Amino acid sequence: MEVVVQTIISSLSLGSFYALGALGIGLLFGVLRLINFAHGDFITVGGFSLIVPATAVVAVPLILDFHPVALIICVVGVVVVWALASYFLLFRHIQTAPPAVLMIASVALSFSIQNLVIMIYSGRPKAVGLWPELTGVIALSDKVQVPILQLVIVAVTWILLILLTIFLRRTPIGVEMRAAAEDFRMARMLGVNATRVIALAFVISGALAGIMALMYHTQTGILSFRGGVFLMLYAFIATVIGGMGSLIGAVVGGYVVGIFSTVLIAVLPEGMRGFRDAFVFGLVVVILLARPQGLVPTRAFKERV
Amino acid sequence: MLLSVDDIYVHYGRVPAVRGVSIEVAEGEIVCVVGPNGAGKSSTLLTISGVLRPSRGAINFDGKSIVGLTPEAVARRGVSQVPEGRHVFTTLSVEENLRLGTRMRSDRGEIETDFKRVLELFPVLAERRRGAAGKLSGGEQQMLVIGRALLTNPRIMTIDEPSLGLAPNLVDRVYEVLLELRETRGLTLLIVEQSSERALKAADRIYVLRSGEIQLEGNAADLQDGEKVRHAYFGFTEGVEHTGEATF
Repeated sequence: MEVVVQTIISSLSLGSFYALGALGIGLLFGVLRLINFAHGDFITVGGFSLIVPATAVVAVPLILDFHPVALIICVVGVVVVWALASYFLLFRHIQTAPPAVLMIASVALSFSIQNLVIMIYSGRPKAVGLWPELTGVIALSDKVQVPILQLVIVAVTWILLILLTIFLRRTPIGVEMRAAAEDFRMARMLGVNATRVIALAFVISGALAGIMALMYHTQTGILSFRGGVFLMLYAFIATVIGGMGSLIGAVVGGYVVGIFSTVLIAVLPEGMRGFRDAFVFGLVVVILLARPQGLVPTRAFKERV
Repeated sequence: MLLSVDDIYVHYGRVPAVRGVSIEVAEGEIVCVVGPNGAGKSSTLLTISGVLRPSRGAINFDGKSIVGLTPEAVARRGVSQVPEGRHVFTTLSVEENLRLGTRMRSDRGEIETDFKRVLELFPVLAERRRGAAGKLSGGEQQMLVIGRALLTNPRIMTIDEPSLGLAPNLVDRVYEVLLELRETRGLTLLIVEQSSERALKAADRIYVLRSGEIQLEGNAADLQDGEKVRHAYFGFTEGVEHTGEATF
């Protein structure tokens, strides 16, 4: 029984993580047809902003010791600035290029950020103690204990999902964003400001990455220049499974990947657990063979201007 | 002149789609551009609305150049385009689609009046207000995009093939509405049509466009017998094809 409850909570927590990552990627794909491989590096940047820029092995806190509210604002702010800068300095200048060009530019950006992090902070992983009070466990009953952080991750994700849904459904600019994701040219012909909508998508995507940076580094306690890459990979898979361009699909895909990975760990025999990723990617192949458009298909591949 | 397109050239890569086209539209006028498939009609409209850039030539709206402006800037000047193929946002509700048309306006009070007026004009949109726009029929979608364009409170509306893919009785209805709008609101219209008969019936003036060039222009009243228009449209009469460039 306790194993079942713990597996459910772990899988929901991991799924939430992938869902948030997939949303960050899906939002930009929606308005710009950009598959942003640098999304994971935004998460890395958020993590490194916690400490003083130095190559020393021991991390010196910069904003790590701030009051939680100030800390959240700072980290999210740093990542949003990076996301906006990457739009205005890079993607804005190639936004009419084919999606493949945008994707390759994002891969280049990703490597640039990673190497910049190595230059400033060195390539060695560093330990950070972010919010140690969240790393404990909470007892649901005599036998069932779950990590507080996993519950926090699930709760934060669902709050963000609700906020994002309200934004996209209830605010005029949110409606503009949905319209732009479906038919950008028509939206512009109605006076929708392209730059503003795309910039806002980068802000939201960056904010999601900033919040993920906080939760991810609380969980791992380790800063690494490649920290976000692995997350990005899984989030990207979640986006593809869900159906590129569909935000609901991104969330569904995130949970499918998260739940499947966690359940595999629980049910696979000891010797097979190391091969979990092979099973996860096998599932991706099976889903895409059965539904090449993803679980929640959209008209996202339509041409845009 | 409210809108004057002066000797524009538009290229897709190296292929010219529009060669030296000039079109003038006066305030309150209905002007139709007719021509066969691939004549450059849609390219001309997309160039006016800022989606395509002319490689040469000038476009002035209300005395000011609009060449090089973004589509949203052109829209803000008061040029509302209804492009070919009924671009409704299928995942948005009918109301959300309509409200998008009002986003660049600041006259709050009048927006609500106009909104009610559009729903009166197209009662079916009022009925389906909360439903997804993608669920509407072709004719209803055409009503929706025209209603949405009206809500931008345009000074000129350009419409690309309003009759495309619609049943004849629906086409009549669409034109009825357009003519009514000219009467009641003094709306200026630039309409692209494949059917010259339809254009002759609705327009004050028509232009015949073929192979990227204007072949004929004139008052609809003077061209009612249709012979000259057919000649310009097809580039031949009585089965004898002209060689080279048609001249008039």
